[in-house]
Amino acid sequence: MTHLDTELKRLKDEILEMFNLVSSQLEKGKEALFNFDKSLAREVNFNEKRVNALELKIDKDCENIFALFNPVAIDLRFVLAVLKINSNLERIGDIADGIARYVAETETIFDAKLLQVTELEKMYSMAIEMMKDAQVAFDHENTKLARGVFKKDDILDDINGKANSVLAEFIQQHPDKTMQALHIVSTIRKLERTGDQAKNIVEEIIFYIEAKVLKHLSTAAKQE
Amino acid sequence: MQKLETKNLHLHYGDFHALKGINMTFEPNTVTALIGPSGCGKSTYLRLFNRMNDLIPNVKIKGEVLLDGKDIYKKSAGMRIDELRKKVGMVFQKPNPFPKSIFENVAYGLRVNGIDHSGFVEERVETSLKQAALWDEVKDKLKKSAFELSGGQQQRLCIARALAIEPSIILMDEPASALDPISTAKIEDLIYELKTKYTIIIVTHNMQQAGRVSDKTAFFYLGELVEFDTTPVIFTNPTHSQTQDYITGRFG
Repeated sequence: MTHLDTELKRLKDEILEMFNLVSSQLEKGKEALFNFDKSLAREVNFNEKRVNALELKIDKDCENIFALFNPVAIDLRFVLAVLKINSNLERIGDIADGIARYVAETETIFDAKLLQVTELEKMYSMAIEMMKDAQVAFDHENTKLARGVFKKDDILDDINGKANSVLAEFIQQHPDKTMQALHIVSTIRKLERTGDQAKNIVEEIIFYIEAKVLKHLSTAAKQE
Repeated sequence: MQKLETKNLHLHYGDFHALKGINMTFEPNTVTALIGPSGCGKSTYLRLFNRMNDLIPNVKIKGEVLLDGKDIYKKSAGMRIDELRKKVGMVFQKPNPFPKSIFENVAYGLRVNGIDHSGFVEERVETSLKQAALWDEVKDKLKKSAFELSGGQQQRLCIARALAIEPSIILMDEPASALDPISTAKIEDLIYELKTKYTIIIVTHNMQQAGRVSDKTAFFYLGELVEFDTTPVIFTNPTHSQTQDYITGRFG
């Protein structure tokens, strides 16, 4: 293994650690939300510092690899992709932190009907699944799995699209739970953005492995 | 203790002040790159460590050069030149094998030190060639002339020759500048491997090479040590504007 290979392997291990950390933040955020576990929510808020610290470490390591090794071809695309994936993951970390903050700040347990009509659990599970797929695709250089993430994002967009009318109806029926409903709609918006970040991540994975730029193409074209 | 150290080191060639008060320390098992434009003093500095400047007329050296805490220029410290050169090996810009067989090139340092026990010599030659990542390519033709090897192989042979006497320090003066990119990559990987056992100082004009192989980098200019820091700092955020201008190719 050359010196550069050793450094790239180390960088890969670090970004996989970032994937694990951010996935764990999302999962704990979900558990805190559905079990109304404020202690777990505070743990997520606390761990956000670790996500930020790891982001800075990976940024610095990318900078050093550019400066010291002048990577080219697939090595260059790998480091460029890691730099951007790192930023996407940090944003997902912020989202998990934000969702946990709603749980920590809400006084009463979320209404079961509210959670059910908004299909929040389905949406949250799909967001986590997209993250997992992206991680495995990156680890095993599997662009087929990466492309599958685009399709899964349709489910998130669909639930997000229906959210306004569903929540308006809920608020009319339960005006005393308006604040809760607003927290839930914000959570739905955040999860929708998680899906977008996961799509950005798999675009970078495909760029690194196949040298294809998929940004700004239609979903159908991205899946080809 | 530092492996190697210079304190307020000045060197004059006649009236020319080639090194101006250099203070540097070298930790064991590290690679230090010396960079700077031609004539900045980096090769002169490298050659201090095995006293190769002594033969140049009108050289005056002031200050201290400490190897394992002992001044190598002070007679009272009791370091003879032949003893010093057993501890400090050197590899030059162009491969310079002797007109002998591959085997005898590597065995040469042992023989001149009076070591002739064939089993011992054979073992040391094999170990040195393995450390220099050349063994697999030459093990079936050890009796052939060293000149039959390619340039890159000859350079690795010279590294094996330096390793055979088990030095603790290896000096390299642009060891890959006469080689093609593949041979260069092999030498660079070798340097990375060798630092687990040796302390290495390398002069290079190739900035990318300094970045790839070294732990610390020193930038010399007009006989002065402008900046000495870890290689990632030198290549991402140097303190001095002269260092930045040099590594970004804006002067020198």
